[in-house]
Amino acid sequence: MTRSRLFVLASAIVVAMGVIAGLGALWLDSARAAVGPLPAEALVLPADARFVMGLDVKRFTASPFYARFASQRGMRPEALRELEEKTGLDPARDIDQIVIAGQGGGGATTKGLALALGRFDLYKLGRAIETAPKAKASTLNHEGVTVYLFDEEAREPGALAFLDEHSLLFGTRERVEAAISSRTQAPLRSNAALMALLEKVKGGSTFWMVGDQSLLAGLPASIPAPGAGEGATVSLPALRSLIVTGDLDPQVSLAITGEASDEMAARNLADVVRGFLALANLQAGQRPELARLTSAVSVTTEANRVLVSARVPYEVLEALQPKPAVKPEAKEPAEPK
Amino acid sequence: MRDPNRPIPFLPAARAVFDLALEGMAWSRRSLLMGLLVALPVLIGLAYRIVLATKAAAPTLPPLDLYAVIVAIYWIRNVVPLAALFHATALVADEVEGRTLTYLLTRPLERPAILLGKFAAYLATTLSVALPAVVATFFLFATAPGLPGVGASVPDLFRDLGAMALGLLAYGALFTLLGVALRRPVIPGLLFLFGWELLANLPGYLPRLTLTAWLRSLVRHRPAQEGLSELFGQVLPAGLSLAVLVVASAVFLAAAVFVFARREYVMEQ
Repeated sequence: MTRSRLFVLASAIVVAMGVIAGLGALWLDSARAAVGPLPAEALVLPADARFVMGLDVKRFTASPFYARFASQRGMRPEALRELEEKTGLDPARDIDQIVIAGQGGGGATTKGLALALGRFDLYKLGRAIETAPKAKASTLNHEGVTVYLFDEEAREPGALAFLDEHSLLFGTRERVEAAISSRTQAPLRSNAALMALLEKVKGGSTFWMVGDQSLLAGLPASIPAPGAGEGATVSLPALRSLIVTGDLDPQVSLAITGEASDEMAARNLADVVRGFLALANLQAGQRPELARLTSAVSVTTEANRVLVSARVPYEVLEALQPKPAVKPEAKEPAEPK
Repeated sequence: MRDPNRPIPFLPAARAVFDLALEGMAWSRRSLLMGLLVALPVLIGLAYRIVLATKAAAPTLPPLDLYAVIVAIYWIRNVVPLAALFHATALVADEVEGRTLTYLLTRPLERPAILLGKFAAYLATTLSVALPAVVATFFLFATAPGLPGVGASVPDLFRDLGAMALGLLAYGALFTLLGVALRRPVIPGLLFLFGWELLANLPGYLPRLTLTAWLRSLVRHRPAQEGLSELFGQVLPAGLSLAVLVVASAVFLAAAVFVFARREYVMEQ
C-alpha cells in the first residue's frame, strides 16, 4: 500500500471512530432523557400543559451567575444553611433538575406543576414540613403516596408529594393528585405539540423552555411603535411556537427560536426585534453599556422561524444594574459659637 | 489483448489517474499548508482544554459556542473554499504550468477520465485532511464541560461533516471549472470568494446566487455577527440547500469536463 493510500485509510479510520463514538454518545443520551432534554420522570407532568421549562440546577449553581448574583437575590447562605439543618436538603448539592409544566396566563389559572429531581431524605423533609409552624401543613394519603397540603382554606391549596426518594412534585392539590394517579401512564407524552418542540431543544443547556400556540395566543397582537408618535402601533405576527435555551457559563447565552405562520411574518417579527435593538443602540450615547448589549444580540430568520441569540458578558450585566443611590453625607453639627 | 488504437476504458483510466494524482497531491507542500490551516482548530481546542484544566484563565466563550464560530466562520466561510481554490484550480493548471499535460493527453486516455480521476484525488486528499480535523475539534470542545450532554450535540457533528464534504465538493467543482477554463484561475477565484460571495449578507434573493449562503444553511451554528450579515442574516431551507449544492456541483463538474475535453492547450516554450 502506498503512503498516500495509507494516509487516506488512516483518516477514514479516525472519522469512522468519531462517528461510532458520536453514535454511542447519542444512544446513551437518548437512554437517559425521555424526549430532548426532558428526563423520563418528567413525563408524569400534565398532558394539557401549554409550556414546559427546565433548569439544570447543577449547572446553575456551578455558574458564575450563581456565584455573582446569589447573595443579591435573597439566596442568603445562612438561609440555605438553616434549610439544610432542618431538612437535610442542600439544593445545590441534592437537586439535579427542576422541570415545570403549566398553562400560563398567570394567577390562579396558571395551574403549574413542578417536579424536582435529586436525592431527598424523606424522613427529615417530612418531619420538617409537619413541624414547621408557618407551613400549617396537613397530610393525606393518595394512592399510597403521602401528600402534604398547605393553606387548605385557600381556593386552590398547595400540595407537595414525594413520588420516591428522587422525585418531588409541587403544585396545586388537584394537579399533584392527578399526577400521582396517572404516574404510570406518562401523560405528558400524549401532548404531541410539546413533544415535537422538546425534540428540537438543544441538549446540555442550563435552562430551557418550550411553549405552544395556545400559550402564545395570549400575547398582545400589537405594541407601541418605538420612536413614533402617540397612538402609533406595530402589529406583531402571531407566533406558533417558542423555544428558549440558555447557558450561564462563562457568559449569559440565550437562544430564542420563534416559529411564525409564514416566512413573511418571520421577517416582520425579526424587523420589529431589530427595530428595538436599534432604538436601544440610539441610547448608547447616554449609556455606553447598551451598545455592548445590542451588539451581543443577533437576529436571523430561517424560513418561517426567527432566531434571536444573545451572548452577554457578566461585565455588561453588572454595568446595566441600577447603581445604588448614594446617600447624602450627614451634615456635621455646627460648632457652638 | 487490448487494441492499442482504442483508449483504455473509462473506469480503469480514471482509477489510474486517481492513483497517480493522489500520490502527487497527498504529500505536496500545498497539502501540508492547507492541512495546517484546516487543522488549526484542533490546536485551538487543545489549548482551550489546557487552559480549562489548569484554570490559567476563564474562557470568554462556552466551548460549543467557540466550536460554532470555528465551523460557521472559520471552516465553512473561509478555509473550505480556500482549500478548494488552491487544490482544484491546480488540477490542470499545474500540469499546464509544468508543461506535463502533454504526457497525459498523449496517453490512450479519455479526457473526461483524466479530469474526473484528478477530481476524485482532490476530494480524497481534502476530505482526508478536513474530516478528521472536524471530528477531533468537535470532541475536544464538546467534552470540555464533561461527558454527559455530548450526545445532544452529536447531530451537529454529523451535519458539520456533511456540510464540509459538500462544501469541498461544490467549491472544488467550481474551481476545477475555473482551472480548466482560465489560464490564471487563482485571482478570479479569490475575487469570487471575497467579492461575489459577500452577496450572501445582502437582503432578498441575492444570497441565493452564492454558494456560501446555501452551505451555511446546512449547519445549525449561528454565531453572533456584526454588520450586514447581522442585519439581513437569513437561513435558507436545509433540504433545498442540499439539492442546490448537489446540482450545482454536478453542473460545474459537467461544464469542467466539457471544457477540458474540447480545449486545445498550447504549452509555452
